[in-house]
Amino acid sequence: MVITIVRHDSWRLQIKHGAASAPILLPPTQFSTEAYYFDWVGFGTLIGLEFPMIRQLLITVPVALASVILGSMGAYFFYMQMERRPWVSNVGFSIISLATFLPAQTLTVPLIELTSSLGIYQTYWGGLAFAYFIFYLPMSALLMSIFLPVVPNYLIESARLDGARDWSIFWHVIFPLILPGFLSTLIFVFLMVWQDFFTPLIIATRPSLYMLPVAARQYVGGYAILYNRSFAAGVITSLVPLIVFAFLGRYFIRGLAALGGGAKGV
Amino acid sequence: MVTVRMEELTKYFKKGKNIVKAVDHITYKISDGIAFGILGPSGHGKTTLLRLIAGLEVPTDGYIYFDDEPMSAPGKIVVEPERRNVAMVFQNWALYPPNMTVYDNIAFPLKMAKMSKHEIDKRVREIAEELELTRVLNHYPKEISGGQMQRTALARALVKNPRILLLDEPFSNLDAALRDSARALVRRIQKERKLTTMIVSHDPADIFSIADAAGVIINGKFAQIGNPADIYNTPATTLIATLSGDINLLSAKVVEDTALIANLKIPLNKGLISDNEAIIGLRPDEMKLLTEPQDIRGFIDIGRVRVKVSSYTLGVFRIVVSPISDDNINIIVVSDEPIEPGREVHLLIKPDKIKIFNKEEKLIYPELKNIVTA
Repeated sequence: MVITIVRHDSWRLQIKHGAASAPILLPPTQFSTEAYYFDWVGFGTLIGLEFPMIRQLLITVPVALASVILGSMGAYFFYMQMERRPWVSNVGFSIISLATFLPAQTLTVPLIELTSSLGIYQTYWGGLAFAYFIFYLPMSALLMSIFLPVVPNYLIESARLDGARDWSIFWHVIFPLILPGFLSTLIFVFLMVWQDFFTPLIIATRPSLYMLPVAARQYVGGYAILYNRSFAAGVITSLVPLIVFAFLGRYFIRGLAALGGGAKGV
Repeated sequence: MVTVRMEELTKYFKKGKNIVKAVDHITYKISDGIAFGILGPSGHGKTTLLRLIAGLEVPTDGYIYFDDEPMSAPGKIVVEPERRNVAMVFQNWALYPPNMTVYDNIAFPLKMAKMSKHEIDKRVREIAEELELTRVLNHYPKEISGGQMQRTALARALVKNPRILLLDEPFSNLDAALRDSARALVRRIQKERKLTTMIVSHDPADIFSIADAAGVIINGKFAQIGNPADIYNTPATTLIATLSGDINLLSAKVVEDTALIANLKIPLNKGLISDNEAIIGLRPDEMKLLTEPQDIRGFIDIGRVRVKVSSYTLGVFRIVVSPISDDNINIIVVSDEPIEPGREVHLLIKPDKIKIFNKEEKLIYPELKNIVTA
């Protein structure tokens, strides 16, 4: 009981402290992890970043992976149609580009309408994953179509003569060669999905479904700005992209390097 | 294994507004077990013809049959390439990188045919033994030599017992020293298995060493078909003559049944050429240089030449000479020994080997053996 009361008091103290904007030009005098703790567990109506972070990780990894795999396969399909049925390839790539370059904001109403009629509005695996796919699958396909021409045509033809169907050609011959590009695209799409603010904002508005960028926004502004807490939310949100880039950055660069004659000498 | 029949086979490519006739109404039958060679300048449809047979190109018109089974029809592929059981060795060998070893490369067609692991292993090891690849089976393609890469490509082509073997410039990426042994290997395997084979090359040596019959494709059409020796000895045009081997093409004036090339005189049979101009074709290996005039059986002396330079390639000396009275004409002659530049020597030719073309560069009297008065 005593502990609860003491704790309760300490929270009140913080609220009192945070009632007005902190002076930005006055740096903190002592080291404190208080802001991080506050952001992580949340308080009152403010949702802590802990569950949004877990939710974000749970959905971003599979969505990015699935978009890039399906996108690569789609890009391969349209690439293979280029010679025999050029119109299929042209129409396909036009739709892909359109879907990639169309501002997400223009799709707000249709997206809500579509997810509602499908009964997946305000759902995590259904609505949110679906919306992410709509935006990032075409982007993955477009990016992978840049890497596909690196694969020399004669390898594909040789595999066909050896009796391989498209599935085997893709996985045995093409995939190992476009792996640098694949990883590069995967990292890029992962970061894009991670920092996507708009899609979860319109699809998952229920606090229990808050995604990380949306949840982090709670700590920015309102009536007053607490710089230490805003920046703590920013740091927490960008931790995963930072780690990804620090450890996988070289694959990202390798993928870009593969564009310039990566298939040389094979 | 199979007879390949082409009927009015045609392939046009659109390049901007132009239409390129890569293969132009070719009708020909390649009999079962024959090695057929295709010579021709680059960009004249050799590879396109091979790709049509493989099913990698859709014919604009015409048909392809394996035995009596239709493979391609106008505007469509009847049997997809993966179902044709055709093997092709590409110019750069098209080995699957970078994650597949030599073993995986050779096993790939068998894996695609859903063969059992045990059977695959047995067949890969058999063919590796035959092509001396056993030691490098676990290596990656980038770790082995060019000759081994070429044999890997060949092993991958042969392991599935193809109905037809297609070779697209298979030796052009090999060192000159390796080419002969590679040619001998292909020749032996082709004969042992009685494998219907088509080989495309710009190098006549490939065709002569492997093919039983050969065709020269110019502008998408067979300009000449026959056995390789006939094409070499009686090329229908000067272009075919250059394609089928080294040749000196010399324009000559014909005066009173004698062909004159500067101070060189080639006596011709009476009334053979009515025109006063002709092109004389002399292959370097069908001539001789002598320092002193001397009668040699089968040769006639046509005059004196001056040596310009001697060089050495592939075991023979190639000597460039010019007629004494005209320094601008170069004649290449093969010799057993070098001759120092500046020296004057006698040029002897084999009268039964001389080729005479008219102004339109067509061979005159291909059926005549003796056109020179000996």
